[in-house]
Amino acid sequence: MRAHQTAIGAGMLVVAALFAVGATSIPSEAGYAGVGPNFLPWVVALLLGACGVFLVWEATSGGFRAMEEPSGAAQGHWPGFVWVSVGILANALLITTIGFILSCALCFVLAVRGFKSSEGRLDLGPKAWLVDAAIGITIAAPVYWMFTQLLAINLPGLTNGGWI
Amino acid sequence: MDIWTQLLQGFATAGTPINLLWALLGCTIGTAVGVLPGIGPATAVAMLLPITLKVDPTASMIFFAGIYYGAMYGGSTTSILLNTPGESGSMVTAMEGNKMAKSGRAGAALATAAIGSFVAGTIATVLVTFFAPLVANYAVKLGPPEYFLLMVLAFCTVSAVLGKSTLRGIAALAVGLAMGLVGIDQISGQARYTAGVPELMDGLEVVLIAVGLFAVAEALYAVLYEGRVVETQNKMSKVHMTALEWSRSWPAWLRATFIGVPFGCIPAGGSEIPTFLSYATEKKLSKHPEEFGTTGAIEGVAGPEAANNAAITATLIPLLTLGIPTSNTTAILLGAFQNYGIQPGPQLFDKNAALVWALIASLYIGNVMLLVLNLPLVGLWVKLLKIPKPQLYAGILIFATVGVYGMRQSAFDLVLLYAIGLLGVVMRRFDFPTAPVVVGMILGPLAEAQMRNALSIGEGKWSVFVERPASVVLLVIVAAVLILPRLAQLRRKPAGTA
Repeated sequence: MRAHQTAIGAGMLVVAALFAVGATSIPSEAGYAGVGPNFLPWVVALLLGACGVFLVWEATSGGFRAMEEPSGAAQGHWPGFVWVSVGILANALLITTIGFILSCALCFVLAVRGFKSSEGRLDLGPKAWLVDAAIGITIAAPVYWMFTQLLAINLPGLTNGGWI
Repeated sequence: MDIWTQLLQGFATAGTPINLLWALLGCTIGTAVGVLPGIGPATAVAMLLPITLKVDPTASMIFFAGIYYGAMYGGSTTSILLNTPGESGSMVTAMEGNKMAKSGRAGAALATAAIGSFVAGTIATVLVTFFAPLVANYAVKLGPPEYFLLMVLAFCTVSAVLGKSTLRGIAALAVGLAMGLVGIDQISGQARYTAGVPELMDGLEVVLIAVGLFAVAEALYAVLYEGRVVETQNKMSKVHMTALEWSRSWPAWLRATFIGVPFGCIPAGGSEIPTFLSYATEKKLSKHPEEFGTTGAIEGVAGPEAANNAAITATLIPLLTLGIPTSNTTAILLGAFQNYGIQPGPQLFDKNAALVWALIASLYIGNVMLLVLNLPLVGLWVKLLKIPKPQLYAGILIFATVGVYGMRQSAFDLVLLYAIGLLGVVMRRFDFPTAPVVVGMILGPLAEAQMRNALSIGEGKWSVFVERPASVVLLVIVAAVLILPRLAQLRRKPAGTA
């Protein structure tokens, strides 16, 4: 836990450094104001850096102060996490090619696998896949129709008709 | 100003069948997300922000407001019946409500929570009706220096005062401000931190940040750490209060309303402090102190629930009159206004009077709807608690996709969504507050613009912030907010060790 906390502080320092580097390339013409578009970026970079320093200091001198015990298990269940992550990223990758409904249903199916595996009852049988796919489509399809047909908001479809 | 005529006009607008339908829809969705664990009002409003592309502003603000306070009603149902609170404001309700439910009085607890929410919500709405225009009248006189300091005050209270750790609060705020920097600078038109990615030119969408931090992070956190957590549900009983329970509830409702409203008004939002204060008050004043924490005291549910609703309603005062959000949900509501090119603030009451008054009128209407939705129909909502977790969270991911993709039609945003979700998991695991991120991201660019305008007025001199009486007062308040809690701590420490 302590090492993770130090890593968070260090990560913050890296972000601060990136923001500082970015700030050097922002012009400073200030006009009447005396401060230009690069002023707040510098303030934020310094603030991030200061927070990073203090977080590292807290982490190495007894851990973060006034911490609430995080809820749930002490160790993460990584297989479940991978299922859900793949679901979300596959959705991002496929949504424009196979359309909203199918892509979301796929994400749904993969995510359900992940949650079931974290509950210790992962079922990879074909029936479970089909049932979850059907539920996924039953949720995604009405949402899709509501947005495309009722609200006329563009969501990608497999065809151009706005129904699939 | 004739408040009555305007309010009546508001009722006329809010009372059209189509707007009533939006209010009902909002209240229904709000109650549902309040009841469902894993999704709160901020997430729900954020996911539905794409409707701002097509629906007219009045209807969608009525809809969003319905979700906002509907979730407060629904949240109490979950916290009484499940042993995990649905949203943070219901934490205190959960303590006493759970005890009542365990001793077979779930129905009475649900009744006092719903009726208390109604009483407090309605009184708070009356106060909003009369005070918001007054505040707006005064706020017109404020200039950029004062606005900037008000926003600084909001930053300080949200990040430094409310959380457990000032450092983690400020760190979260810094992350939010950093996110707000991405995109085109409002004043000079200069692109900042876009790294040549065209998608980043328009800045990060608030939908993306909110849905990532709340919905996706919640799902990822649940799959990582909470798979083995078994939730137990308490038994329902008839929703009914005896005469004695009524007479014990109503003073608690009223006291709590007057505790909650001031906390909602000042930019120190969040409903946790008023709910805890109300709980402590009721415990002290109760004639049955032995019931607290044992069999469950009805005052301990009535008070905090009413305080919660009063505070939530009152957060609309700083949002509408000053354009300053003090909670996650109001920050996203501000984002909704911005999508319409409307900047909440004192001018809102002049320029968009019809919208504001329709919104306020809809609060009255919505409270009545919610009372009906939550008392006779409570059994229906309880059924929602039976949805198994895998399908619930996977379903939330579908809605997250709609919200984020619907807003900008960009698959790139979906990848960013996942990244923000990971950030949210780390923040949740290491007890970083999320409200400063959202408030910082939305309010940051506004505060920057106000600061640079203020400095322009002062011809580049920082002394502009101490030369105007109102801004000096605000500076003193900011300093007090930052220093007083520390002093109180220092004074308490020697007393504790002695």
